[in-house]
Amino acid sequence: MARWRGALWSRGQMMAAPMQRALYGGAVRWRWALGPRWVSASAAPRWRLAGALCLQRPPSITQALSPEQEAMAQLAHQIEVEKSNFSDYEIRRLAEEEQLKKRKDNTYDDEADSGQAIVLAQDLEDAWEQKFQRFKAGPRITDADKRNDRTSLNRKLDRNLMLLVKEKVGNQELWLLPQAEWQAGETLRSTAERALATLSGNCIQAKFLGNAPCGLYKYKFPRALRTEGSVGAKIFFFKALLQSGDLLQAERREDYVWVSKGELGDYLKPDYLKQVNRFLMDQ
Amino acid sequence: MCSALGKVLCLGKEMFLKQAFALSRVTAARESPICAVGSTLLSCNRHYRSQPTHGIGRFRHLLPPEPSKKKRDRIRMKEICAGSDHEYGDLNIQMTAYDMCLVEHFAQYVHKLCNRFSIRVNESYAMPTKTMEVMLLQEQGSRQYLDAVLTTHQRVVQISGLSSTFAPVLLEVIQSNQPEGVHLSVKEHTEADFKVRLKARPELEELMAQMS
Repeated sequence: MARWRGALWSRGQMMAAPMQRALYGGAVRWRWALGPRWVSASAAPRWRLAGALCLQRPPSITQALSPEQEAMAQLAHQIEVEKSNFSDYEIRRLAEEEQLKKRKDNTYDDEADSGQAIVLAQDLEDAWEQKFQRFKAGPRITDADKRNDRTSLNRKLDRNLMLLVKEKVGNQELWLLPQAEWQAGETLRSTAERALATLSGNCIQAKFLGNAPCGLYKYKFPRALRTEGSVGAKIFFFKALLQSGDLLQAERREDYVWVSKGELGDYLKPDYLKQVNRFLMDQ
Repeated sequence: MCSALGKVLCLGKEMFLKQAFALSRVTAARESPICAVGSTLLSCNRHYRSQPTHGIGRFRHLLPPEPSKKKRDRIRMKEICAGSDHEYGDLNIQMTAYDMCLVEHFAQYVHKLCNRFSIRVNESYAMPTKTMEVMLLQEQGSRQYLDAVLTTHQRVVQISGLSSTFAPVLLEVIQSNQPEGVHLSVKEHTEADFKVRLKARPELEELMAQMS
């Protein structure tokens, strides 16, 4: 035994080899006898490919500032105002106030008065103030927010909303991003576009940002369903931004939902969610 | 006894003198730098031409000779790289807004972001400001009066070498950080975009038209 080990590792030199080196040599030889792993399988495992679509509605208003940001912004604004020079309008306003004061105190000259503007700065400001009072801004928290209606697009105007659909996969109903099976001869991006078209008809206009997928989720089928040709499936995610349109006109009504990143956990399975979260920007 | 002492003293003095000379030499060497830190007497020795350190810091003679510039150098357009299947060529990220501070800050942000992502930024410039006067119809009469003066500011950041796998990420980051009121567009750089920056020369154009 010892002689065999020594012969293996010492390469024709001393017969007695140290214990650790002999053990390592033995282990290497045992693994090599089995053969490299990739040779043992008859063919590479086949995966079914699918292209999935991550349709995002971009936010239409900015998020509210946190208290510290608010305080800092106010302080910075105050510093900026105090350090700044007067603008043209303010100079004009100050000059007119001085003229009015002079008129009250002294007897004013008609010659100096001839150059006076017809419209005073004060009048302009009053007119602007009235216009501002008449303006009504849209509400930041909409009705859909109050009702927590997840199928509407008007919800959460300061966050990204993603589309999720409920589909039957195997024998269970799952919430996932809309996907379509890849067919030979088309690119994966066109698979995702096809998924969008089958889902919505022609109602939705979306802009794809690029040809490259943003994420991948692969899973193996349960042993009962595995065949020679397919061990599992790989789903490639493509991001698209919603330009216009909505799913209201499409046929399926109950099975879709627009959710933000925080609410994804309510719908998606943990492994799927982990892969999806990798390509979502924090909101 | 006295003579012996005297000899001893003489010897001692010689030794002392030698040591003193050595010490003074050492102190002189230490005082020769221009400002000796901590010394009460600041010696201002300038490096005169006889000093061995004359010419320390000279570098102009090491640079390659510059070609003499002509007085009026025509501005030549840099080559526009077209881009391959996997990379975009020259792209212009144009940001337009009415508020100058906002658009400048956003342009700076985009520039720093590209530096962070190691995307080569060729140029970052501003287009001339466009001033628009908003004239509204008066309610009582049919005359128009000046309501407001709007200034439109545009900043352009030109990048190149954006890979097609990274482009969606960059675009998404820029879009999600877009401030309110700033209009963003990403276009490929063309010769027309370059020509827009140059001033039109009406006399030259007139003469060319007359010639042809």
